[in-house]
Amino acid sequence: MTRTLVSNRALVAFVGVVLIFAIGAMLIPGFSSLFSVRAMLVLGCLLAVAALGQTLVMILGGIDLSIPFVIGFANVVFASLYGSGVPVLLIFAIVLGAAALIGAFSGAISAALSVHPLIVTLGVGTIVQAGVQIWTKGLPTGSAPPFINTFVSLGGSVGPLPFPWLVPFTVVLTVAVLFVLRRTIYGRKLYALGSNPKAAELALIRPVVLWAMTFALSAVFAALAGIFLLGFTGSSSANVGAPYLFQTVSAVVIGGTALIGGRGGFVGTLAGALVLIELRTLLIGMGLSEAMVQAALGVLILLLVAAYGRDQHIRTLI
Amino acid sequence: MTPTETTPRAGGAWRTILAARADTRLAALLFVVLLVINIVLNPARFSPTNWLSVLGLAAPLLLASLAVTIPFLAGRGSIDVSVGPLMGLINVIIVQVLITSAGIGSPVVLVAAALVLGLASGVLNGFLAAILRIQPIVATLSTYLIYAGLTLVILPSPAGTVPAWLSAFSGWLSFIPVGAAVVIWLIIRRLPYYDLLMAVGSDDRAAYTSGVNVPAVRFTAYVLAGLFAGLAALSLTGLIGSGDPNIGPGYTLIAIAAVALGGVSLAGGVGGMTAAFLGAADIFLLQSMLTAFNVSTFVLQMTYGIVLVLAVCLNSEKLKLYLRNRMRPQ
Repeated sequence: MTRTLVSNRALVAFVGVVLIFAIGAMLIPGFSSLFSVRAMLVLGCLLAVAALGQTLVMILGGIDLSIPFVIGFANVVFASLYGSGVPVLLIFAIVLGAAALIGAFSGAISAALSVHPLIVTLGVGTIVQAGVQIWTKGLPTGSAPPFINTFVSLGGSVGPLPFPWLVPFTVVLTVAVLFVLRRTIYGRKLYALGSNPKAAELALIRPVVLWAMTFALSAVFAALAGIFLLGFTGSSSANVGAPYLFQTVSAVVIGGTALIGGRGGFVGTLAGALVLIELRTLLIGMGLSEAMVQAALGVLILLLVAAYGRDQHIRTLI
Repeated sequence: MTPTETTPRAGGAWRTILAARADTRLAALLFVVLLVINIVLNPARFSPTNWLSVLGLAAPLLLASLAVTIPFLAGRGSIDVSVGPLMGLINVIIVQVLITSAGIGSPVVLVAAALVLGLASGVLNGFLAAILRIQPIVATLSTYLIYAGLTLVILPSPAGTVPAWLSAFSGWLSFIPVGAAVVIWLIIRRLPYYDLLMAVGSDDRAAYTSGVNVPAVRFTAYVLAGLFAGLAALSLTGLIGSGDPNIGPGYTLIAIAAVALGGVSLAGGVGGMTAAFLGAADIFLLQSMLTAFNVSTFVLQMTYGIVLVLAVCLNSEKLKLYLRNRMRPQ
């Protein structure tokens, strides 16, 4: 029952992707042009990679506010290390490894001491960002290696296909996450702990380990998004992740994952990310100012979630 | 609920307060330590003649913290992240629309406008989160985006001035917004609503089974948050003395950090005005102390993150239980 509901919600989100695209193509000249579609795909994939961890954490019933800070951390540290001539593979290991440690710390603390993850990730994220700023003295330097630039570049292509490698990468990632969530012990434990922590503990699931692992994954994918963003923008900045704080949460929720935990999946999040990017493009295309785009996006998220993402009444929870 | 009446002896009163308020003990301790350090570092700024100005500086954060506390008390994910942008929106509406464009300077109109706007936002958030049952963080996140966007539409860059009486809200009149909030909170404490709120926050299913109208209680929590955010906006407007579209949104996360520091449980049912104010005062004093040391904003940010993580960990019930079991002789 739960599974059909989830796949339905993900399906609803994908119907949304198609509908909004149709509306955009009708209203705005150039919306369905190759350039615009490619830009939306790349931006949507960047957001989806950043929101992967948020999805896992929310299935667990938590929330990760450190994503934008970890994105900034990876962005700046990767650029600085590459600028000082460290081998690329070593940089990947350092950045992703450090991110995993940061995430594991937040997750373990939240679970072991039952402190709300919202506060822990906010605090840890603040520390990480301040650390990066102190390290670079507020003036980050360096750039991305060329292969990362082409990996995410708007002009990139995969053989004859007119989009960069990031797009097939995200598709493969989605299938992999689907497999991990449905067919592995980790995935089943994640849903079990998210839907009923007490029962899960009786089934010998260790919450601290699972929380540490999941928050570590969240940070690793945030770091990966930070590295991709470095290739996308060309220069590093500790604040590059700032918009991703609320966008990841919105993408996950539009994709049908409930914040209460125990249901949802990454397929929906991918659709949610695409919906968000399409809506932004649509609103900008209608000639709205950046401020109006923000306000209109708030209204549209409300309408979308009110249409199919409402919570149950308390009377049904007893 | 908890016995907080003061006892005749001074030492006894302290002990009673510390014993009764286990959740805020750490914040209270931190408050005393930070206050002493601040007074030593900067005696002129913290001299009694300056207390009202210091209160005026701290007031927006104190009131914003009280505002975010009330939905937290209601439990099951209730949260209002729109408090910060709402303060910014009220600020620019008062300055740009009412003072600059309409030429209104009357205290009655402007104060009423701030409170009505706050209440209206509370009704909107409450309707979305409690009645329509959109997940609270998503509902208030959306209103966050809406308010922040509207604020920038009304006033794209800082501008405007405010009447002298409104500026005085950050000086010798700073006790008015804070005092009003204290009085409102003390009245709420006396009402049956307070007990319903704590009951819903502690165990909403049990409360619902005993006949409590859970959605109505949560709805009211958001309305109250809006009211306190309105007061916070007045303090903020007095403090900055102009309209500024960029300053409001930042208050959300600091206020949430402050109430967690103060011992308010994000899961509901634990906390109140004292916790919110102590947490906010701690953060204010911490910032003030680090500014006195003349450290960079990055060091300030890092210290603030470390204090936040350490404080919520030390506040954890699980840790206390574990330590208590370890201390007990086997």
